[in-house]
Amino acid sequence: MRKVDEQHIGDIVGADNVSITHETCMIYSKDVTSLPDIAYQIVSPKFDVVTQPVDVPSLQNLVGYAIDNNIPIVPRGNGTSGWGGSIPTRGGICIGLSGMSRVLYFNEFEQAVTVESGITWRNLLEFLERLGYTLPVYPSSATAATVGGFVASGGLGIGSTRHGDILKQVLGIEAVLPNGKVVRLGRVLLDPKTDDIKDEASKANKWLEMELEAAGLGTPEKETKLLTGTYGTLGIITKVTLKTIPNLQLVPFASSFDSMKDLVNAAARMVNDTQPYFLRFLADNYTSKLRAIAGNKLEHGKYVLMGALLDTIYNNEDNIAAIQTITEEEDGIRLDDKRAWFYWNERLYPLRIKRYGPSLVPAEMLAPLDKLPEILEKTKVELRNSNVAIEGTMSNDNSSSFMVWILDDERRSFSFTVGWQRSFRIAALAQRFGGLPYAVGLWNGRHAREYYGDRVFNNLKIMKKRLDPRNLMNPVKVFGGRVTAGRASKSLGFVAGFAIAFLMGLIGPELIGWTWLAQIMSSNLVQFLPVPVLIWVALLGGLLGFSIVYFMTINQALSVGIPVLRFLSKLMRR
Amino acid sequence: MTKMDFLERYAQENEPYVCASCGNCTLVCPVFRSLKWESYGPRGKLHIMKSIIEGDGEFGQDFANKIFLCTLCEHCTSVCTTGISLDRFWEVTRAEARQRGLLPRPAQFVLDSLESRGDIMWMGSADRLLWMEGIEEIVTDRILKHADVAYFLGCNVSLKSQLHDVARSMIKIMEYAGVDYTLLGEKEVCCGAPLGWAGKLEGINEMAERNLELIRSLGVKTVVFSCPSCIQTWSEYKRHLKEENDLELLTASQFISRLIREGRLKFEEQPMVTVTYHDPCISARVLKATEEPREVIEDIPGVYNVEMMPSRKSTRCCGAHGLLDVVDPVLSSRIAEMRLRDATVTPATRIITECPRCILAFDLAKFTTGYDITVQDITQIVAESLLPKKEEDKKSAEG
Repeated sequence: MRKVDEQHIGDIVGADNVSITHETCMIYSKDVTSLPDIAYQIVSPKFDVVTQPVDVPSLQNLVGYAIDNNIPIVPRGNGTSGWGGSIPTRGGICIGLSGMSRVLYFNEFEQAVTVESGITWRNLLEFLERLGYTLPVYPSSATAATVGGFVASGGLGIGSTRHGDILKQVLGIEAVLPNGKVVRLGRVLLDPKTDDIKDEASKANKWLEMELEAAGLGTPEKETKLLTGTYGTLGIITKVTLKTIPNLQLVPFASSFDSMKDLVNAAARMVNDTQPYFLRFLADNYTSKLRAIAGNKLEHGKYVLMGALLDTIYNNEDNIAAIQTITEEEDGIRLDDKRAWFYWNERLYPLRIKRYGPSLVPAEMLAPLDKLPEILEKTKVELRNSNVAIEGTMSNDNSSSFMVWILDDERRSFSFTVGWQRSFRIAALAQRFGGLPYAVGLWNGRHAREYYGDRVFNNLKIMKKRLDPRNLMNPVKVFGGRVTAGRASKSLGFVAGFAIAFLMGLIGPELIGWTWLAQIMSSNLVQFLPVPVLIWVALLGGLLGFSIVYFMTINQALSVGIPVLRFLSKLMRR
Repeated sequence: MTKMDFLERYAQENEPYVCASCGNCTLVCPVFRSLKWESYGPRGKLHIMKSIIEGDGEFGQDFANKIFLCTLCEHCTSVCTTGISLDRFWEVTRAEARQRGLLPRPAQFVLDSLESRGDIMWMGSADRLLWMEGIEEIVTDRILKHADVAYFLGCNVSLKSQLHDVARSMIKIMEYAGVDYTLLGEKEVCCGAPLGWAGKLEGINEMAERNLELIRSLGVKTVVFSCPSCIQTWSEYKRHLKEENDLELLTASQFISRLIREGRLKFEEQPMVTVTYHDPCISARVLKATEEPREVIEDIPGVYNVEMMPSRKSTRCCGAHGLLDVVDPVLSSRIAEMRLRDATVTPATRIITECPRCILAFDLAKFTTGYDITVQDITQIVAESLLPKKEEDKKSAEG
């Protein structure tokens, strides 16, 4: 990798839009998750430079510069996710997209809106609501998350109980590919009068069509999947066309239950009978922590199911009556409208729970709805020594996402580091019940094949090789790859290799009765250098250990690291 | 490693870790919106603070300067997911910067001025009477008179000539309504708020007490302010005000609204004036006084209020609070220009507000942008809309 040339990058994106200060690079290298120090032994701690391009041509030039100079590039929205999708793995250039945040096109007849990828969901919602429309799905981090960020990572959000995941809401995507070409997948709706790069994009689309054909895939119009949910590993999203829906009457509701089983039964019936816009549950260990509901007997320490209907007045009247009946039949209590609005307004603040940490170790999974009570029960048993809070969102396909917040304190550095394995433990537990990781990002690359499905993942891999053969665009995410080994892990590799080789050289020959080998080990190979062969062998072992760490992929590192942390955790408990 | 024990001293040691990094604070921060880099936004500054605590950075001049690039507008605090009182956090960090001798020079000037002159602009107690020019015969007798209501002007309204009309308008309203009021005159000193902004938290109580002692001695029950920051300071640092002294602190609009409800103010029809009300940060987010000014505007016949976006508790800062206007006047002015633009997209021909800093900031922004719009305090529009007394008598007689 060539050294980053700040001045050159400044010439491309504008001098005000580039920074190499330590502070800026450090800040833009973080997302919402506080990583334990050990994580920086496998990913680089910070970017080399942060840029904020404000238009597509300068972004194209920046990508071209990075590829020509073998510099990794990582797109970033507002850093509101926790899956490591926007953190650096090999340093390089951070491309902050929040400066590109205009609404470009809205057509009520087509029920679609096209925006630049850096706009926040809140701003887009405010724009649409003024016109009587809203979005079928938006993330619970809508107050700060960008459209590009959520579309690039995928997942469930507010509205998913009626409309499914966010990727189903994407009609079209414009992106800059690793070769600098700007392409449009699906249907990107724009006003032809203001569409400055229409010709360039259609030329690039023709090229992409040939590439897709050569890879055995469909036309660009049909392959939006390449760019949705793939964390910018195949291209940087610049524009998105999303579905919109009429902003009908919103009626929030909430019910409380004594058991998760009752809640799940009620939720399943509500999904089938009333098609709510949104349905979210808060487990007893979540509601018992919220100070805002302390002392409220109906909610504190109970299982709360909250949601909202978004429909015509007539349908809402029928459905709210059905919700009342279902709640009563499942032994729950329906909360009044004031409480329902409280929970509705709180839907965008799941991270409030961090106040009781002060740090969080998150674990989020997708699980079949009917298995949820069992998974949560097992999770509680598995984490009985930890302070946890669980919540989740129901989807429209009888599945749900559930988030386990493990409250901890990162200032207790050792126990925090060791405690990180709990997140992976919960993932493994959920998988035993047919669950899947909620997202892939950086940390769940090992599960990418299950997550995307065989066919899609193979296609993605083929296209990654064709479009980004040097793995420079958001490297290591989704597809894995070599880690950036830190000094401590390289030293550990060397010491471990040295020690193992030394012990094997010392005891091994004796154990198998090869005394001749033991003699060689203790002799000097070269007369004028009085160092026994054993030491040379140990050094070789050390070098091998160093190389293994140096060339290790992230998935290998996690496969080794998680059991080690688990072992340490058991030791600590004893 | 830099010692950061001041965080424990002020019980703030958990806050950098409690931050959920959700980014809500950053997107509303006026400084971030202007400078575009996260290292100037609240989330970024908390990350820097964390790295200093962990020994990966220095609490040096550069960081101290960043901490002063903030308007203390409470917007970050109001949207914080985990309920961090960020403004308090920035104030104690400013206090630490002062302890370390890292105070930016303009902030040091304000401190020196407060200590030697009792105001923020190196003037003096005699200058606090200049606003009375032309109405001496009405107000001279009111100075240090025993009364139920005291009018506390604050440094800006007393000392800056373009704001003198705010004070004169308030006097006109009080006289019109027959309020028994008193003024502290040249005995008035700064409320103490700028001491906190400049990192001298320990001086605030003493400064506030100098005024309060006087107010108590005059038997005052209600203090009316032209500046919301003065109320905030006294409420925060003198929590026992109400309990121990039975003292009520009101913004100008809260007081005027009360006078209207009591039927003590009558207005004459205005010739179709469209205004937009700019909520000052502290009034809206701390004092929660968002409805009274709107009610007052609504009560003046012929004056129509159109809402700016955003408004009420989501209002945007004018850029002049928290000493930003003295530490970085250019940045402060850029922030004011951004807010002025919010007003320019409305059909309003006047901005009404109730904070002297906002008026000064918008006046400057008008100059830098060339946009022509009248900026008034709520007392000014109320005072100029009052029904002349003779007509009122005539109307009452007819009634």
